[in-house]
Amino acid sequence: MEQNVILSVKNLHLDFNLRGRKLHALRGVDLDVYEGEALAIVGESGSGKSVFTKCFMGLTDKNGTISEGSIMYNGLDLSKLTKEKDWLSIRGGEIAMIMQDPMTSLNPLKTIGAQIAEAVALHQGLKGAELREKAMQYIRDVGITEPERRYRQYPHEFSGGMRQRVVIAIALACNPKILICDEPTTALDVTIQAQILQLIKDMKEKYNLTTIFITHDLGVVANIADRVAVMYAGDVIEIGTAEDIFYDAKHPYTWALLSSLPQVGVKGEDLYTIQGTAPNLFKEVCGDAFAPRNPHALKIDFVKRPPYFEVSPTHKAKTWLLDPRAPKADPPAILEKIRSGGLVNGK
Amino acid sequence: MANNREVLLDVRNLEVSFGSRSKRFVAVKNANFQIYKGETFGLVGESGSGKTTIGRAIMRINPTSGGDIIYKGRKINGKIDKELDQKVIKEIQMIFQDPQASLNERAKVDYIVSEGLLNVNKKLSKEEVTQKVHQALREVGLLPEFASRFPHEFSGGQKQRIGIARALIMEPEFIIADEPISALDVSVRAQVLNLMRELQKKRDITYLFIAHDLSVMRYITDRIAVIHKGDIVEMGNTEDVITNPIHPYTKALLSAIPMPDPAYEKKKELIVFNPLYLDYEKNPPSWTEVEQGHFILANQIDLKEWL
Repeated sequence: MEQNVILSVKNLHLDFNLRGRKLHALRGVDLDVYEGEALAIVGESGSGKSVFTKCFMGLTDKNGTISEGSIMYNGLDLSKLTKEKDWLSIRGGEIAMIMQDPMTSLNPLKTIGAQIAEAVALHQGLKGAELREKAMQYIRDVGITEPERRYRQYPHEFSGGMRQRVVIAIALACNPKILICDEPTTALDVTIQAQILQLIKDMKEKYNLTTIFITHDLGVVANIADRVAVMYAGDVIEIGTAEDIFYDAKHPYTWALLSSLPQVGVKGEDLYTIQGTAPNLFKEVCGDAFAPRNPHALKIDFVKRPPYFEVSPTHKAKTWLLDPRAPKADPPAILEKIRSGGLVNGK
Repeated sequence: MANNREVLLDVRNLEVSFGSRSKRFVAVKNANFQIYKGETFGLVGESGSGKTTIGRAIMRINPTSGGDIIYKGRKINGKIDKELDQKVIKEIQMIFQDPQASLNERAKVDYIVSEGLLNVNKKLSKEEVTQKVHQALREVGLLPEFASRFPHEFSGGQKQRIGIARALIMEPEFIIADEPISALDVSVRAQVLNLMRELQKKRDITYLFIAHDLSVMRYITDRIAVIHKGDIVEMGNTEDVITNPIHPYTKALLSAIPMPDPAYEKKKELIVFNPLYLDYEKNPPSWTEVEQGHFILANQIDLKEWL
C-alpha cells in the first residue's frame, strides 16, 4: 500500500528551560504521518505526547526550544518557524487541534454560533447569510439537534459531550488537513465517549482528514487508530499498525502497558504494575530509558540506546530484545489472550 | 449463599431531592440495595445519574428526603443522636475522585491525614497521633518521612494514596470510593486498585465503589448496581450482570466500553439507549428477580420482550 507522507518528523529534540535547568522533553523523535490515516500516540502522562504534537502547531511554551531536528510539512520545515505571523497560516487552516477539556476551550461570553462563524469567516472568507448557513451546516454535521436554537446559545447551556461536538465543529470550520485530538474524551462519560469517537471517525471520512489521536486509554486506541505510536520518556519506542501493537507488541514497555489494564485483570488476582518511576528528564538518560523498570532488561540496555529494529515493514520497536544476539524474552500471556479474543468473550 | 451473610448497609426506598417545592429535583428515586460485610459493591452510571448522590447521602453529606439508610441495624439518615453520629463518622470513610482537589494544599500531609482522628478522639497525645499517621502512610505504601511535605510535592498516584491513608487512619469498616481512579494514569490505576484490594483483605473493609467504567468494575466489584437517571435499573453479581445483561441501558453501557482489541473494536456496533422507548405511564415498572440475586427494573411488557 503506497501512502503519501503528509508530515515527517526527523530526530526532533525539544528542551525546556526551567529556572536555568534543562529538561529534555523530546529526545530525538522520528515519526512519519501518512495522509488520510488515523494515528494514535499513547503514553503515560509526562511521556511527551502532548508536547510533541504542540510542536506541529507552534504551541510549545515560551521556554521550550527545538534544539535539533525537523518537522517537514508540505515542503516547509515547521521547526524553523519562529514568528507568530508564519504560524497563522498553519494553525487551523492546515493543522487544527481539539483539546481535552471542552469547558475551557470555548469562550463563555460568545454564542456557539458566533464562535463557529468566526472560524469560518477567518479560514473560508465567507460573509453574511452565506457565513451563517455554512456555520449552521457544521452544527448539523457534528450531530447537534435544533441547530437554529443552538446557534444562539452559550457554552454553559451545553452538556460536556455537546460542548465537545462544538469544539469539533470549530476545528472542522478551519478546513484543516490534519486534526490533532488531544485526549478529546477523557473528561466524558463512556457512552458519550463512544459517540464522540464515532463522530470523529465520521468527520474524518467526510472531510478527508488525517487524524492524530493522543490518549492514554488503550481501549480508545483500539477503537480509533490505524497505526499506533507508543511514547515513553520523550521518544517513540514502538510504532506499528493497531494489530501489530495489540497482538504482537515487541517492546517491554508496551507489554507492561497492556498488562496493567483493568480490562485484562483477573478477579481476585493483583493487576500487573510497572515498578519504579519514569526517568528524570533533567538528567541525560543513558541507554534505554525504560531499562530500570524493565524486568527483561539486558546489560546493554543500561549502556547503549537501542536503535529501531524492524519487525515488519509496518512495525518497528526500539529495544535490544529484537537484536539477533539477544536472549529470547517471552511476551506476556496477555498478548495471546487479546489475540484470541479472550478479553471480549471472557465468560 | 448471599442471604445468610451479614448485611452491613441496607438502603431502603431512598430518595434524595434538591431544591425547594417549585424547583424540586429528585436526584435519586426509590433506591434499594444491601451491601454485605466484606464485599465490594459497585454503583455504575453516567454523570448525573445520581451515583455520587447516593454515596454522599450515606456519608450524611446530602440530606435524604425519603426512605431509610440502615447501617448495622441502626438508621443513620435524618436526625440521629450525637453518639451515633460520631460512630458513623468514624466507621464510614470516603475516598474522592480528584486527589488534587480533595487535599488541602496549604496543609502538610501530617495534618491532612490526622485531621479526622483529632476531631473524633481529642484525648490522643501527640506521639500517638504521629505514630498513627506514620503507620497509615506505611500501609498505603508511602514513607513516614512524607508526613512533613505538602500535597503538591507528590504525583497523582501518591496523592490518591494520601487520600486513602486519611480514610484508613480512622480504622473504618466501610469505605465509599467515589471514582477513585478516574483521574489517574493507566499504570498508576493498577497500583491503586491493588492497594485497595490488599487493604480489604487485611482489614476486612467493605467498599462501595462508585465509577462509570464497567471494565474496572468487573475487576474490582463482587456485585454491582447500574443506575440511570436516579433509578437503579439492574443489580446483581458482577459477572452475571456483565455476561448476561438484561436491561437495555446496561447493554448500552457495556457496548460503549472500549476494549483493547482492534479487531473487536472495529466491528462492534454501538447500542444506544433511548429512554423514551420505555413507556411507564400506564404500566409502572417493578423490581423483578430474573435469576438468583439478579434484579431488573421492568414492567410486564418489558419482561416479555427482554427475557
